[in-house]
Amino acid sequence: MATKPKIKQLLDESACSHNKTKKVACNAPKPGATTGGCAFEGAQIALFPYADAAHLVHGPMTCLGTSWETRTTGTSWQGRDLTQTGFTTDVSLNDVVFSGEEKLAKAIDYIIEYYSPEALFVYVTCVTALIGDDIDLICKRAAEKYDVPMIPVHAPGFVGSKNLGSRLGGEAVLAHLIGTKEPEESTPFDINLIGEYNVTGDMWQYTPLLKELGIRVLSTLSGDGRVAQIRTAHRAKLNVIVCAKSLISLTRKMEERYGIPSISLSFYGKRDTSKGILAIAEALDDAALVNRARTLVAREEQKLEEKLAPYVAFFKGKKAVLNTGGNKTWSIAAALQDLGIEVVATAVKKATEDDREKARQTLGEKGVLMMDPGAEQARLIDETGADLLLAGGRSLYTAIKKGIAFADVNQEKKKSYGGYDGLLNLAEDLKNAMQNPVFRNVARRAPWEK
Amino acid sequence: MGKVIHKSSKPLQVNPFKLSQPMGATLAFLGIDKCMPLMHGGQGCTSFTKVFLTRHFCEPIAIQTTAVTDAIAVLDGGDYSIVESVKNITKKVTPSLIGLHTTGLPETKGDDIAGIARQIEFPMVHVNTPDYEGGLESGWARTCKAIIEEIVQPAERVDDNKLVLLPHVSLQPIEVEKAKEFIESFGYNVYAVPDLSTSLDGHLGNKQAALSSGGISVDELRTLGDAGLVLTVGDSMQSCASSLQQKNSEMRHYHFAHLHGLEATDALVKVLLDETGFFGPPPTVSRWRRRLQDAMLDSHFSLGQTRFLVAAEPDQLSGLCQTLHDSGGRVTVAISTVDSTQLETLQAEQVMVGDLEDAELMADEYDVMIGNCHCEALAHRLGKGMVLRGFPNWEQVGNALKNDILYEGGCYLLFEAANTASAARNEVQHV
Ligand code: SF4
Repeated sequence: MATKPKIKQLLDESACSHNKTKKVACNAPKPGATTGGCAFEGAQIALFPYADAAHLVHGPMTCLGTSWETRTTGTSWQGRDLTQTGFTTDVSLNDVVFSGEEKLAKAIDYIIEYYSPEALFVYVTCVTALIGDDIDLICKRAAEKYDVPMIPVHAPGFVGSKNLGSRLGGEAVLAHLIGTKEPEESTPFDINLIGEYNVTGDMWQYTPLLKELGIRVLSTLSGDGRVAQIRTAHRAKLNVIVCAKSLISLTRKMEERYGIPSISLSFYGKRDTSKGILAIAEALDDAALVNRARTLVAREEQKLEEKLAPYVAFFKGKKAVLNTGGNKTWSIAAALQDLGIEVVATAVKKATEDDREKARQTLGEKGVLMMDPGAEQARLIDETGADLLLAGGRSLYTAIKKGIAFADVNQEKKKSYGGYDGLLNLAEDLKNAMQNPVFRNVARRAPWEK
Repeated sequence: MGKVIHKSSKPLQVNPFKLSQPMGATLAFLGIDKCMPLMHGGQGCTSFTKVFLTRHFCEPIAIQTTAVTDAIAVLDGGDYSIVESVKNITKKVTPSLIGLHTTGLPETKGDDIAGIARQIEFPMVHVNTPDYEGGLESGWARTCKAIIEEIVQPAERVDDNKLVLLPHVSLQPIEVEKAKEFIESFGYNVYAVPDLSTSLDGHLGNKQAALSSGGISVDELRTLGDAGLVLTVGDSMQSCASSLQQKNSEMRHYHFAHLHGLEATDALVKVLLDETGFFGPPPTVSRWRRRLQDAMLDSHFSLGQTRFLVAAEPDQLSGLCQTLHDSGGRVTVAISTVDSTQLETLQAEQVMVGDLEDAELMADEYDVMIGNCHCEALAHRLGKGMVLRGFPNWEQVGNALKNDILYEGGCYLLFEAANTASAARNEVQHV
């Protein structure tokens, strides 16, 4: 069984290696009043999209058993999609007592033999971190033995939140992959996409447009990503961070180390997509490119507007209340506005100061920023005469009581809402929701109810 | 009955369908009314479990975490995390019970949760469910046992009309309800422990999911000691019955490995007839029996030419294999998440504890897969028919209302399996 000194040692290690930006005391989750995933989940989100690499979770069953095949991250990798293949050591009591190292080493051998991945990520989790398995050493030995990159990922759940875990995932890539290989060729318009995970193929909504402009995606972290490409990421001219604050420390380090500047943007909604494409062109600092980008953006907007016209007509005068968290508080709001829907209120309870500021800008003076959405949203629906509530599943009942349409913002999406064309998917889904009589029908009183 | 492999020889799980003990514990606590399941461990276990169950049931799920962090882990034997959790939970809501269950992290540290629970002045049941041991079934069963041991009051007299039903974890809410109603039709007052049939059955209500809504109440639990009969369904539940009998030695126990299909349902009816002294069952029961007989005949032609792979928790596996077998379906491969006494008696040609990689490697040996939604991508890739059963099923809605058991549910299961097998054959012919 693990001894106290080992735990201490582990904590000291975690404190010195990746504790610079983390403040344990003020970020500590409140027992009995916490939602949200752990650091391991964050690392998984950030790295699993590498479909040509195997992802081995060293831990007991909860960590991977509940979480594999949960995200539809598209890949064009022709080999077996290892993102959607679950690997775990499923450690047992025996391993906990006597160490899981031997099992881990054997598991690595097994994966190399039967799956020949381009790289292998090994994720330490709470239990295996606590018992002190030396995954660095095991990875190092295996990498030498097989000449395949082995990346130890030190983001056990108990070090913190999802965000921290994504950051630690990024650190692992920086430490073990980036800069370990030279690209075959370079272009002046090589970029890295950082924090784009290609969920439901989001990134494919805009990468063809970048390609048309002559901008090459050299590598990604990690949507539709390839190990061979991320190894060359140090030769990019620009890091583009897509909706991922957690990876800013990574890009800052890449700037220090390799002189790669970075910009942060989102491809959600028409205005953000246009702004994003222009921002990339401008950051690459080429007048002709910027001109091409302007033309392209104008063309795409026009195309989109034509296709959106019937929807905009439908949404005219419609009002929505939005109850979600993080950057969705304003990014979804902006997309709704692109469709011609008036966003009368958005929840900012679970948003940072920064996001609240953006929410205010997006909604304007009149919009309500809800600090206690659970209590406020029903009243606001009445007062504003809203037609649509976008929220998590637990607010469904509010919509039904009010007899208005409901869309679940947390539902696992099957199609992309990103880029220009994604907006059409969003418009179609919302139109369907608003035309659906179900919300009124289920609200019918039973014959025996007074 | 064929060869049985009780332990996988691999150093890892590839494409696992095994689920963890703490999740089984959570589910069991969700079968108690106004309960707050409190998972002791890192916040991720709880978050994953919540999302997992929300997607399966399409319902908000009540659960909280003690959110153990590295900083706290060193200093704390669990006291701080658990005491704080109870404080924070009860600040916002008033549960009838807090269901404290562990994960691997605090168990590895050696937290004494029994000691801590004793110090807390709030109704609480605690159970040790490290995820490096057992699985979904044992987590559920251990929790059920703890609930019985800690809440049910001892009694001396028995009420012969009162019956306690202890269902295994894989029975979906409607199946628990059907079992209750079936037994009630013989004149019993039936209490299921845990009871998902009124909590996760997918009913419209004002569910903010702050606490579980529906399930057996703590008050009802307290008075179960005077039940005349206790019925266990699934081998995992056997020892829960002994715990209940310890509250009252007069209580009689009947065990069923499962309630799937003609023979098992006949056995249940036999017990109920013997116990009540009735000459025959209520008319709907015999009506459904004849429907099942007919369903077996109607589906035998398709099933008789079909080879099945079934992947499930042991107690469910046992019932599914039996149902298919009785109508001529050949279960060529049965894969269990964990070892169990059930494995030796399964109606299958090969039985193994394994994962879905094993299923893939044996692709030549079956035509239709029965298992959870992790099988679906595989079935698709291999061109197999697919019947979705077990946790999780994120691909379909209506999971809570899928009924496979007793005479009635047997009909639905057989039809679905037979139709899926025929469709799979047509598919093959047309390519
Ligand atoms: S909190 Fe720890 S044990 Fe739980 S899922 Fe995250 S890494 Fe795994």
